[in-house]
Amino acid sequence: MKSLKKSRNCFILCALVIPVVLLLLFVVYPSFDLIAMSFTDWDGVSPHRQFNGIANYITMFRDSPDLWLSLRNNLIYLGVHMIMIPIELAIAVMLNTRFKGANFVKTIAFLPFIINGVGMSYAFSYFFSPVNGAFNEILTMAGLSGSIHKWLSDPQIVNFVLAAVSAWRFSGYHIVLFSTGLTSLSAEMMEAALIDGASAWQKLWRIQLPNIWMVFSFVMFDCIRGTLQCFDIPFIMTGGGPGYASSTFTLYTIDTAFKYNSFGMAATMAVAIMVIVIAVYGIQQILLKKVIDR
Amino acid sequence: MKKVLALVLSACMCAAVFAGCGSEKAPAADSSETSAAEGGLDKNIKATLTFATWDNEAMDVFEELDLEGRFQELYPNVNIEIEEFKDDIEYFNQMKIRAAANELPDIMYLQTRFYPVFKDYMMDLSDTKAAANNILAAECAVDGRIIGIPEKISTDYVFYWSDVFEEAGVAVPHTWEEFVTASETLQKHYEAADPDFMAIAMGAKDGWPMYPLMEYAAASFSGESNYWDIMATEDEPFAEGTEINKAFTKVYDLLNRGVLGRDPLGLGYDQALSMFLNKKAAMMIDNSMGMAKIAASGVDLSTLKTFYTPYTDENGQFNHIVQGDFFMGVTNTSENPELAKAFLEFYFEDFYGDYIMELASDSTMTNAPKEKNQYMAYADAEQPEMNLVNYMGGGDDFTAIVNKCKFDHNKVGAQMLMEGFDLEQCFDELNKSWSEARKSLGME
Repeated sequence: MKSLKKSRNCFILCALVIPVVLLLLFVVYPSFDLIAMSFTDWDGVSPHRQFNGIANYITMFRDSPDLWLSLRNNLIYLGVHMIMIPIELAIAVMLNTRFKGANFVKTIAFLPFIINGVGMSYAFSYFFSPVNGAFNEILTMAGLSGSIHKWLSDPQIVNFVLAAVSAWRFSGYHIVLFSTGLTSLSAEMMEAALIDGASAWQKLWRIQLPNIWMVFSFVMFDCIRGTLQCFDIPFIMTGGGPGYASSTFTLYTIDTAFKYNSFGMAATMAVAIMVIVIAVYGIQQILLKKVIDR
Repeated sequence: MKKVLALVLSACMCAAVFAGCGSEKAPAADSSETSAAEGGLDKNIKATLTFATWDNEAMDVFEELDLEGRFQELYPNVNIEIEEFKDDIEYFNQMKIRAAANELPDIMYLQTRFYPVFKDYMMDLSDTKAAANNILAAECAVDGRIIGIPEKISTDYVFYWSDVFEEAGVAVPHTWEEFVTASETLQKHYEAADPDFMAIAMGAKDGWPMYPLMEYAAASFSGESNYWDIMATEDEPFAEGTEINKAFTKVYDLLNRGVLGRDPLGLGYDQALSMFLNKKAAMMIDNSMGMAKIAASGVDLSTLKTFYTPYTDENGQFNHIVQGDFFMGVTNTSENPELAKAFLEFYFEDFYGDYIMELASDSTMTNAPKEKNQYMAYADAEQPEMNLVNYMGGGDDFTAIVNKCKFDHNKVGAQMLMEGFDLEQCFDELNKSWSEARKSLGME
């Protein structure tokens, strides 16, 4: 009995201590260090960091127009992903019916998410290439050669192309999440709704959605966090160009740190995006809760 | 039990905090002091030297020529650990992080543009035989210290297909105006049959391939090797009449004629190179690393020739940029600085002769003369007389201003290719941000 108690305590100790230590080392300490760094003019190489108060924050708000242009680009990604959410939900609902090929469709839809992001971005940069690019070839074969554009070099459309690639990559993941949430609903509840004569829309709006609220909330958070911190797709497909036309907040932050040796300023930007993500998520939670309560 | 738990948790938290703090490793003393303290080197010393590079071509050659084995003939118990990076951008990003953590490799490559960043981490190599035998090292000294020995000469060539030129009736240009006309003629001649044709394959989507035009133009047209440093002393360096204003205007005029094809910003370097190799482009501006890629492609090179980009000034003088590249240096954070220096001496004395013969680059060492690559020799034949400009990159002040105002010449070049670009407005904005940066840095 004593040995069992000892083992249990040992397990509790390990289960508590290891995550706490890891959290302290790799999340809490770096976060505090990042915040501290944001008040310095550290160049990333020098052994000394000069405290410069809130100068970085002032410069970021007043003298960094390209940074805010980059954030606007992030919002395009966010918008496209938000538009995709109802479509993803609709597909998940359809897959949750007695459709025979549901598992096959889910597997195919999930594939882009497990493909390496860098490789996928390279593949798409060739797909949209102006010379021998597959997308232009498809349009030509479909008799739509008049629709051919400079997909990756026209500032007016480049962000929508990149956001579409991002949506293609993550939609399958969201469909699977929604689908899993819908599957977890009790069959009795759905049958009761059916007996009561609820329409498909009423079932979705009154029963399914409120019951997968946590999944919905997670998908929304994933979209907000992912789109505001988007990096790999624009980095590989356009390098943020032409000019800063397809740069994102994170891309600009990394350039600030490594290309322009301003780690202090980059830390300020990292803190800003952290605050923005938390703020947007907070607003989203409040709005979502109001809708669900209603 | 609760007390024990609390105690263990507290201990772990303290350990985590102390681990985070870590002790800073003090940089080793400078070469002369270390040398004096240690005297000679034990031949049986046991150590591992780390050596970082982004030169993928060289990695194969190191292996082929058994770099480590040959050094072990001198120091049998020393291992050479080569750290390879994808490209120079990733390499220098990593080195910056490692410099901050005092974790630089023992031996690393530099470029002069990164001298202001790393100069305090490098040992003085002025007393080495390698420095004495190198034709460029002394010219690139920083504050009287030689911190890197260049192993390559980086100079750009315009690679071109002579049969493509002949068919369009275009001769090799010898002035900038001729270069612009030749590019335009080629574009017009071929694009009717092939809308994807490019007179000059650039790969502007990647940004960096614009450097031969955007980074070198001002120094080339003006013949001033330290043009960036001159700019650093001016409040409005992009004003009308300045050399960079004139140079960028000439480049803009060239780009504006559509000589980079119909969608230059849609293609990266690899795609542009592929187009050139398939003769869907007449010219490509590149250096010896590009030559290595062309040679490795396996295409028929019988009509491949070169000429130098004709940066001719107002007096008709043909200026041409040369610069050292891959400056090998020893870091002062090395645990075995004398051994690292011994490796550097071995590298340039015993190994370099065989090594440089395997590369397209010219030799930088007087003790390892090398004949020019056959394709690059055409450029010398076309332009036997020219003013060589030893490009230095920018110094401390220039780097500080660039970092402050985020001036990126290659980005400006890419913007020149965008529709609706206004060069005058661009100059005004650059002048404004430049003077503000100087003001905030106290350089007025």
